[in-house]
Amino acid sequence: MAAAPSMAAALAASLPAPQAAPAPAAPTYEAIPASMAKVIDIEAEIPVTTVQLDGIVITKIIKHSREAPSATAHGLLLGLDLDGTLEVSNSFPLPLHGGGDDDDKSTKSVARYQAQMLRSLKEVQSDDSVVGFYQASTMGAFFSQALIDTQAIHQDKLRHGGIVVVHDITQTARGNAAFRAFRLTKSFLDAFKKSNFSTPSLIDHQLTFSTILEEIPVEIRTNALLSSFLNTLTTPTPSPLPDASPAEASTSSLPPSFSNLNLGAIGVVRNLEQVNDALDSYRTEEGNLAYLQRQIAREKSRADAYVAKRKEENASRVAQGLAPLPEEDVSRLFKIPPEPSRLESMLLLGQVDAYGKSLAGITSAGLVKMYAAKANSDI
Amino acid sequence: MPLGTSSSAVYIQNVPAGTHSSQPRTPTLVTLHPVALFSILDHYLRRMDDQARVIGTLLGVRNDSGEVEVRSSYAVVHNETDELVAVDMEYHRTMYELHHRVHPREVIVGWYSTGSNLNTYSALIQNFYTQETAPHPAIHIALNTGVEEGHQPGVKAYVSSPVGVHPKPENCVFVPVPCEFRFHDAERSGLDLLTSNSSSPLSDLDTLAESLQTVSAMLDRVLGYVRSVLAGEVKGDPAVGRYLMDTFGADTGELEKGGFRDSLQDTLMVSYLAELVRSQAEVSARLALVTAS
Repeated sequence: MAAAPSMAAALAASLPAPQAAPAPAAPTYEAIPASMAKVIDIEAEIPVTTVQLDGIVITKIIKHSREAPSATAHGLLLGLDLDGTLEVSNSFPLPLHGGGDDDDKSTKSVARYQAQMLRSLKEVQSDDSVVGFYQASTMGAFFSQALIDTQAIHQDKLRHGGIVVVHDITQTARGNAAFRAFRLTKSFLDAFKKSNFSTPSLIDHQLTFSTILEEIPVEIRTNALLSSFLNTLTTPTPSPLPDASPAEASTSSLPPSFSNLNLGAIGVVRNLEQVNDALDSYRTEEGNLAYLQRQIAREKSRADAYVAKRKEENASRVAQGLAPLPEEDVSRLFKIPPEPSRLESMLLLGQVDAYGKSLAGITSAGLVKMYAAKANSDI
Repeated sequence: MPLGTSSSAVYIQNVPAGTHSSQPRTPTLVTLHPVALFSILDHYLRRMDDQARVIGTLLGVRNDSGEVEVRSSYAVVHNETDELVAVDMEYHRTMYELHHRVHPREVIVGWYSTGSNLNTYSALIQNFYTQETAPHPAIHIALNTGVEEGHQPGVKAYVSSPVGVHPKPENCVFVPVPCEFRFHDAERSGLDLLTSNSSSPLSDLDTLAESLQTVSAMLDRVLGYVRSVLAGEVKGDPAVGRYLMDTFGADTGELEKGGFRDSLQDTLMVSYLAELVRSQAEVSARLALVTAS
């Protein structure tokens, strides 16, 4: 992903500095009512415990994810936090990145796009504070360098650190809309800031792929107007024609669907292929790491041998009554390569795990459906 | 899937005699995507206190058969008083350009407003949007939110045609066009999530259980009906009988002829494999932490 750092940079450039908004304290503020005093925190002290997605955000993310040419649809979430609940009330998609050549130019144009969009939304009384971003994924595999980079920047800049909402296209197509919210764990962020993912650092921080992100429970909210409208859509209306056939006697705009009872296990083959691919790239990455490790070990042993030889030589010189040779700085003679970063391999493992999980999900639902279909005849 | 109260009225289009290939067809059907619909409702909620209605631009695609698919919408600042109506055209342009960068295929197809009264201002705004969508005719969607007493919530779509000997921008006839709710099958589950009672996303098995329960309840209803017909309490409807026969006569022959066992074995195998991969990944991640110590 060549575009990853640039997107992160674009976001960094366009995000407002944290706490910038409440700074110009107007003298004529109304007093905060006592009932609200507890839940309003200007200093962002109450930690976010749940994420609340508005109905419009759900549909917008699903539409954008489905229409985007590849599984790289991403956009920003807008909203506010109140008493530990992050209310996401709106979202807008971000344009896809071009190639790596005009990186700087496209970074700037994305930043401009974002600023302009926020300004425009403010004009129609929409929420205009960025609280995170969303990312579409297939088969549940959302671990990627780009996601981590962007979230790390957000966690630095945004109030409450921001969240990332991951939407799984495949699961949605199978009949269950999947939305999950995450943020980076403290230990990962610590390692990330030092950009140190060598083995000792991983051990220090107790990092595996499952401890990179922590999940925040998601709630779905439909406002009163929307739910009343949806209710109208789902209520069947009798046909105006006098003798309509039973199939047309009553129609509703949103008839119940039973698509998740479909027996065919959609996407199992594709999922298996993806497990395979992820395993392959993990093996390649492991091979690279092992190669680097061997190189380090070789250089180290050469340096050790040199030091030992010099010591031996000195010992014999001292025995002969000669002045010992100076102990030279070994590190200048031998270039020991730095410990390789294990982040990439960790992310790949995360991908493998996610594909495995989604595969397990498909099959378990498949089993239930098979027995349900079989139940009509004697087993 | 029609939106709003259905009626038995027939929609009539006056298509000029003789097909002109140069002239684009008048829309015969307008379909509305949930995103557009929900955006309009959201905009209505966020209106200013003194605004009686809100308007905005509709974006979508047209196809050859005269169907207009409204895919999304955005709010436009406007101001209406007794004397004048003002639409922020610059804002409208900026938003369109921003939107165009993400969804390059969607073009301006018309405009929406809330409330169902069509007045002189509607005609003026319609005139403005007709210029925007030229040479295609602009469509207008009037959404009734149902919050005013005596009004049913619903959506109506219109195209306009000039009226009078000397057409003036403030005069036009709004001709109704059928309007339907349409979305991709893959997006269906998102709507299910919004209409369901639960406040958080469910797992796959939970949704499956819910569907199975609904099916079971439906079967109970049918069974109850059939029993009462057999007992002679209710006079059977032959049409219903036919539908039931078609539905329950579905062929499960292949499933019974060993297909079940084969597919069960496959599924179990894949399930085993998936768990194996997961545990290996977990072990590998842990091992990475111990090797150096």
